[in-house]
Amino acid sequence: MPRVALRDIRKRFGTTEALRGASLVLEPGSVHALLGENGAGKTTLVRALYGSVRPDAGVIEIDGRPVEIENPSRALALGIGMVHQHFMLVPALSVAENLVLGEPGSAWLPRARLRTHARELCERFGLALDPDATTDSLPVAQMQRLEIARALARGANVLILDEPTAVLAPSEVDDLLGLLARLRDEGKSIVLISHKLEEITAVCDRVTVLRAGETVASRPLAGLDSHELGRLMVGDALPPPGRPPETEAGPLALALVGLRASGLAGIDLELRAGELVALAGIDGNGQGPLEEVLAGVRALDAGEVRVLRPPLALLPGDRQRTGLVLDLSVEENLVLPEAARGGEPPVFRAGIVIPRELHQVATEAIRRFEIKASPEDPARSLSGGNQQKVSVARALRARPGVLVAVNPTRGLDLAATAAVREELRREARAGTAVLLISTELDEVLELGQRIAVLFRGRLLPVAPDAHTRAAIGRLMLGEGAE
Amino acid sequence: MKLLRALVQPLAATAIALALAAVLLAAIGADPFSALAALAAGGLGDRIALENTVVRMGPLLLVGLGVALSFRCGIWNIGGEGQLYAGALAATALVTRGLGPEAGAGSLGLALLVGAAAGAGWAGIAAALRVRRGVSEVLSTILLNFIAVLAVAWAVHGPLQEASGAYPQSDAFPDLARLSVLPGLRRVHLGLVLAAALPFAIWVLLFRSSAGLRLRAVGLSPEAARYAHVSPERETTRVLIISGALAGLAGALEVSGVTGRLFENLASGYGFTAIAVALLARLHPLGVLPAAFFFAALATGSGAMQRVAAVPSVAVQVIEALVIFFSVSFALPKAGAK
Repeated sequence: MPRVALRDIRKRFGTTEALRGASLVLEPGSVHALLGENGAGKTTLVRALYGSVRPDAGVIEIDGRPVEIENPSRALALGIGMVHQHFMLVPALSVAENLVLGEPGSAWLPRARLRTHARELCERFGLALDPDATTDSLPVAQMQRLEIARALARGANVLILDEPTAVLAPSEVDDLLGLLARLRDEGKSIVLISHKLEEITAVCDRVTVLRAGETVASRPLAGLDSHELGRLMVGDALPPPGRPPETEAGPLALALVGLRASGLAGIDLELRAGELVALAGIDGNGQGPLEEVLAGVRALDAGEVRVLRPPLALLPGDRQRTGLVLDLSVEENLVLPEAARGGEPPVFRAGIVIPRELHQVATEAIRRFEIKASPEDPARSLSGGNQQKVSVARALRARPGVLVAVNPTRGLDLAATAAVREELRREARAGTAVLLISTELDEVLELGQRIAVLFRGRLLPVAPDAHTRAAIGRLMLGEGAE
Repeated sequence: MKLLRALVQPLAATAIALALAAVLLAAIGADPFSALAALAAGGLGDRIALENTVVRMGPLLLVGLGVALSFRCGIWNIGGEGQLYAGALAATALVTRGLGPEAGAGSLGLALLVGAAAGAGWAGIAAALRVRRGVSEVLSTILLNFIAVLAVAWAVHGPLQEASGAYPQSDAFPDLARLSVLPGLRRVHLGLVLAAALPFAIWVLLFRSSAGLRLRAVGLSPEAARYAHVSPERETTRVLIISGALAGLAGALEVSGVTGRLFENLASGYGFTAIAVALLARLHPLGVLPAAFFFAALATGSGAMQRVAAVPSVAVQVIEALVIFFSVSFALPKAGAK
């Protein structure tokens, strides 16, 4: 009998269906890989098991009996523990204190008892941890062990790890995989969310693949090669309906020369006027640092960004945090870059706003980009799609020679997505050099005349005849990187 | 309609605070109605009371304006007191030592400018510490307060002490360096007209200029501002300097318009009450006008309340505290929203 079974789980957030009938079955003494693209629903599915997301429909069974998991404490009581990407530890407390935190009666344990108790726990699970160390002084790998130890101390039989190796150095990864194998041999069920093929093949015995909220495969890992896994993850659907713009490449507009920074291991790229180049890749492979370098908010360790056809305008990937000032109005957001340059005419004269001109700018943008808002509305009151259109309008106001768009349609509905993509095509046709950085493979295929894959801070070029989901999917998993 | 909505919360906070103050006054055995009536009469009751209130309002208005501006930029300048003292000290040093008694008519304007510059410089230290070394401006401005207040104490016991050496105070300002009292009035001086005009100028700066848009953007979201090529560091420095200049000007106005010389405890506590003024005004430059008037009236009326109703004047500090408490409890506006 399986230890845990999630069957036909459905979950909707607002208008997006995160899970559309996802299933996951865990056997005792097994390490189970959960694989899928960004946004495929992996995190939502394990959160349903951990009780931090309530499914709209579906059944969760533990040892054959259906259960309701209302919250994480209920999950813990049922023997389900989770190691989060962002550790849930109290930094100022010692290792021993964090270990017993939340255990009934632990607040009254004398210090010496606490320490021996913690030491026993660490020994039992074979974890080398100093009980007296202050948690925030620990290296990341040790914090992760502490999280694992805490879940085990609470009696977890099922351990969920959400991309645990993203924060680890290669040697630490081996230690972690060794630990997971040991726990498996003790009979624990482990769910490992990972994008890294070598880790999956090293330690996992089964794999479940999610695509767009659905389980598309669940089978033993034996006999699957990386080609097959990549195909399972991204599917072999027909090329998407939209096509890259057909434009002639003009003179050189942007040159990235050997960019190195934390998270970037040497990026070289040339972009010509009228070209639309797309960078695919799984999140966390350098997208964030590259965006920050191009936005001018992160210093380079080495290399150079040459903008030969200025200005460079950026469509930031996080429109709520970096794209817009949500509590300023639509019109104020539109002219903020001009204010940053000291108040340029016609909207500003001698540094003072000309209200008529400001209103004009906003009503034009609202009409051209079909933004559903009035100029004085705070950006916060707009829907995600309309916020993104404001962001697009602002980037294009600068009449850029180079336009960089980072995940420009993330979280948008179909109509807004189509509108934003068409805008990027139109810019390329108008002679702008457009660089798209997107974790969505369909978007990359639909827009990119040339495609490269970001993997561990490097660019892997994709041959022009290999613009297929399967080929790019393999590169995204790092095949051929070494 | 918008104005009405903006007024509801500060008025409600004040009303609740006064009601609670009445209960407290009754609890210490005073007649709350006669005490509050004495407070009102002492602050607003006749021409002399009104003039005293308006004179007190000057520094509260200017320092409060600077506080409101810096809070809008997400900068917690608690150093109004020190910046005011720095302005008063610099203006006095210039008038009594730098220029000498035979200085011409320009000395007044020069004194006000030097006072504002000194306040700006004093706040500029906090700006430099924050931008270069990451020192919280809350900490540095509070500590700079102590230095400025003690520097004034040292100056009036030492280099700036009056020629006769009788008291720890500076020489009196010559007439040419004093702000004249408005015709027909006893105490209200020309500087207060300037002070009353500044909220309108700051309103234009904050809501109708590119500089104001930048500093509000930084206050609301430093990251989004940076992505729009606004430098939070530069805006932080600017706003602290403007805020310090306003407080420094308040100090210079106080010595050249009200006291006529520098001494210890020149304007004790004004820098702190000004924070309450800015909060009650909900960080709006025009709201600072009535808020400063209200706190000035409370301070002026407290003496009368003590005489008439035998209530200790410190009770007024309790009322001030209650007003602050309730105006802060009603949610403050987001730092940069209109």
